[in-house]
Amino acid sequence: MELEQSKGYKQVIKWLKSSKKKPFKFQTDAWAYYAEGYSGLVNAPTGFGKTFSMFLAVLIDELNSRADQKKDTKPAKNSKKSAAKSKKAYGLKLIWITPLRSLAKDLARAMTEVCTELEIDWHVGVRNGDTAQSEKLKQKKQMPEVLIITPESMHLLLAQKNTSDYFDELQCIVADEWHELLGSKRGVMAELAISRIKGLVYEKHPERLLRIWGISATIGNMEQALDVLVPYPDVLKTIVVADIEKKIEIRSILPDHIDMLPWAGHLGHKLAHKLLPIIARSKTTLIFCNTRGQAELWYQNLLKLDENLAGQIAIHHGSIDYELRNWIEDAIHTGVLKAVISTSSLDLGVDFKPVDTVVQIGSPKGVARFLQRAGRSGHSPHETSKIYFLPTHALELVEAAAIKEAAKTNNIESREPVIMAFDTLIQYLVTLAVGDGFDDKKIYAEVKETHAFRELEAAEWSWMMQFITTGGDSLTAYNEFNKVELEEGLWKVKSRQIAMRHRLHIGTIVSDAMVKVKYLTGGYVGMLEESFISKIKPGNSFTLAGRVLEFVMVKEMTVLVRKSKLKSAITPSWMGGRMSLSANLGVILRKKYNETLDKNHQDEELDIVLPLFERQAKVSHVPKDDEFLIELIKTRDGHHFFAYPFEGRQVHEVLAALIAYRLGRLKPITFSIAMNDYGFELLSEQPIPLDEENIKDLFSPLNLGEDIVASINSTEMARRKFRDIACISGLVFQGYPGKYVANRHLQSSSGLFFNVFSDYDKHNLLLRQAYDEAFYQQIEEPRLAAALHRIQASKVIIVKAESYTPLCFPIKVDSLRENMSTEELGERIARMTAEAEKADAKPGSRRRKNDHQL
Amino acid sequence: MLSQGAEEERMTINCKGEILILSKDRAIYWASKKMLIISDLHLGKSATFRQAGIQVPSTISDNDLQKLSGVLAEFSPEILLVTGDMFHHKINSDIDSFKSWRTQYPLLKIILVKGNHDILKAADYAGLDIEIHPEELLCFPFRFVHDQPEKADEYYNITGHIHPGITVYGKSRQKLRLPCFYFGAHCAILPAFSLFTGLSKIKTEEGDQFYAITPNKVVAV
Repeated sequence: MELEQSKGYKQVIKWLKSSKKKPFKFQTDAWAYYAEGYSGLVNAPTGFGKTFSMFLAVLIDELNSRADQKKDTKPAKNSKKSAAKSKKAYGLKLIWITPLRSLAKDLARAMTEVCTELEIDWHVGVRNGDTAQSEKLKQKKQMPEVLIITPESMHLLLAQKNTSDYFDELQCIVADEWHELLGSKRGVMAELAISRIKGLVYEKHPERLLRIWGISATIGNMEQALDVLVPYPDVLKTIVVADIEKKIEIRSILPDHIDMLPWAGHLGHKLAHKLLPIIARSKTTLIFCNTRGQAELWYQNLLKLDENLAGQIAIHHGSIDYELRNWIEDAIHTGVLKAVISTSSLDLGVDFKPVDTVVQIGSPKGVARFLQRAGRSGHSPHETSKIYFLPTHALELVEAAAIKEAAKTNNIESREPVIMAFDTLIQYLVTLAVGDGFDDKKIYAEVKETHAFRELEAAEWSWMMQFITTGGDSLTAYNEFNKVELEEGLWKVKSRQIAMRHRLHIGTIVSDAMVKVKYLTGGYVGMLEESFISKIKPGNSFTLAGRVLEFVMVKEMTVLVRKSKLKSAITPSWMGGRMSLSANLGVILRKKYNETLDKNHQDEELDIVLPLFERQAKVSHVPKDDEFLIELIKTRDGHHFFAYPFEGRQVHEVLAALIAYRLGRLKPITFSIAMNDYGFELLSEQPIPLDEENIKDLFSPLNLGEDIVASINSTEMARRKFRDIACISGLVFQGYPGKYVANRHLQSSSGLFFNVFSDYDKHNLLLRQAYDEAFYQQIEEPRLAAALHRIQASKVIIVKAESYTPLCFPIKVDSLRENMSTEELGERIARMTAEAEKADAKPGSRRRKNDHQL
Repeated sequence: MLSQGAEEERMTINCKGEILILSKDRAIYWASKKMLIISDLHLGKSATFRQAGIQVPSTISDNDLQKLSGVLAEFSPEILLVTGDMFHHKINSDIDSFKSWRTQYPLLKIILVKGNHDILKAADYAGLDIEIHPEELLCFPFRFVHDQPEKADEYYNITGHIHPGITVYGKSRQKLRLPCFYFGAHCAILPAFSLFTGLSKIKTEEGDQFYAITPNKVVAV
């Protein structure tokens, strides 16, 4: 039967018509594919009803099968069966995976509305970290027909007993905002959970056609995104692309003169006053910052600039209490707020109708992210999204020009899926063991089918099984190790304590231990990292959620505070990943450097930045895109070596370590390494053995693999990667906010495990994963090799500069530094101590902060 | 108060008129008493972790015992004094291997000043031939105790407990973190003997002495 002729289709079209709506072509396409049993991926710009493309497909199917059932049951009079059916509610039909908790509530509201209007008696439930325990218990007794869930909660569901019954009626799994999950270990969690649920459905109902669909914004690798979500060869699959384009207007907030902007920095407060008229002109403005700390500062700063904004602006980020965030989201919906300062917590999904303007503060680092954020304004179809870019330092003006061009040419990045995440797989296996237990042969086959573990070898699998069952390799089976045990053919966790600890830490987002912040009088404000709290004393004040709070005490893992009378105070810092400039943007950025001095461009941003470029040209050189600039500067700090490949922070981190390592082979030397998205710095107290002769050898792509491994070994990179791995795989237990389980006998750190494994267990797969992650994800080896080839082909320009240049300055002030040394440890200490004594002897030689001349 | 003798692998210092040798193996040898002092051995820690379902290779504690044998061979002391946290938690397989290790040293007297982790039964200690001091051991001019007492008196405290570490800063923003011996005005802190331990920073005062431990030597910093 043709879809258009079906009862369900007609009913949905009729309902849409009644509210004067017509489906887009991509929506009806998706419905048709769904009806034919396809799985797939829907790709459409924000605001065009991506949600409906899938949700209505499932509803049409439901309406049609109800119509069929009526036809079937009438003549057959199979009253027994239908009576039994009507007693039991339908059960879970659709699992809807969302990456963000904040999306769930609004989605549920929208879906419930549709169900009511179409007279489908379905219940829409939400399950994530914010869901109340009572609600979860209710779901355990009776699953809602639609369950909106995060990847973590899916795993928690699998960690319960008797879960297989939940999926008796399941028709479809939808992964919403799949592009967001794709590049992370959360994506791997989704892949694994889907493989298990698919397996459970198949065991009980082999005839069932379980459909798996993804919904994604545009990314560079759509085909691969589909392959990751639906890796199964026996499933029909397709990509449905909307042929509609979202109109986006991008503008930069420009300084009147380049001197208004600092050479380095990430706050951009000097342009804040230019934001006020934009806020005033717009209905509601979303202001995106890159970090939570930055958001807090901007909130305070805007209030300082215009007191009338009090009560009209709010702040939203992941460390603000759930209730507060809820309130803010509701307030955006109703249009009460003039502006909301936010981090990526409001990047995705729901439609905030009153938002008509978006502001991005600082570099968004990638085109996809920038466009996603732009799409938060003018959300309904055919409206134009408006986004302003506010640069925080002078060179970001060039980035603004680059991003405009990338948006125009639709040059959008790919998201590389994570593979071979052993830590996530180990966690998943224990999750299953905590739940109903698992059959290792069956699960091995399922896991092998997923995209992430396609290359998994039998030996690696058995290592992991040993890791969770005997606690070591086969030679050293420990009898006291009792994590996962075999019982009636199934691997299970029997210890209730281990099960509880495991459930508490399911997930792949590792943060510092977090503590809740609460008023003395009651009411939660949000969360802080323990390390921040340990640094402040009672009576000190800090800001959180835009409020100035006075620290009173810590009690039972909760920080008690009272309102402070101070107007401003220190802002807490949260550890967060630093995003790196994408390769796409890097290429355009190099091109823009060319254009600036040549003045052959249409970008107003480049006109403004020109004086800075002229200055750079005067004191050093502005690299063209066929040139590679190196600056050598000697200061009180030592000998600086700056190089500018413009490949993004991540690539520079590895490249810097590589060059430091190769220099270190020429003579024993110690470097302090810093980098940003434009280039990197090697700083040493000794002269750097570098000249025109050996420069190309240093940047040679020859022996790249070996040298990288060696350089990663001699820096902290793998060790840092191991921090997350140790937590995810359950080696280090951090506890959850407010649920901290004190257990001093089990206190340890990932660094300790890194040492232990390096010394005694070299073949540990988790250790290997740390190096692999540093190696492949961090550096994107092909990208690094390409960069080196490009450098080989470029003209190398070495400039010995007298003082810091505009280009090197942002790198120089970066405080995140790494060490790399080829000196013998004892000698190094002796030298460092001797230096320290010399410095003590010469008072007044301490360097001042920002001792540059502008 | 302290003077330094320059030797490569060991550091000889004078503390309260007594000659102490600091070994790179995280031990102090008090020659005049033929006493070897260590702290925070944490025997059984790896097995405790394994019992909780956390995979830790047992070679760690074997290695700690081997290291201990090495220091014993180097100094041939009559007494081994442990200033607390000799055992990590309860009796387990690691402690069985300690038992067999113990039989190699029938003449060695082992004294334990109890630490917060030492919760074995009295009979267990007796079975391992260990003399127990629940609070402290006074041996003028030193008081051996696990954690430093709040009040200072005529005894100089030698303690453990916190696993001290020190960060050495150099020119050109260089930084190194190492385990260390700490000698303050009223109290010295031993580094943790076990390698399966972390480091914690300590608050310093003017005149405090630090001896950082590198793989090959002890360095005054």
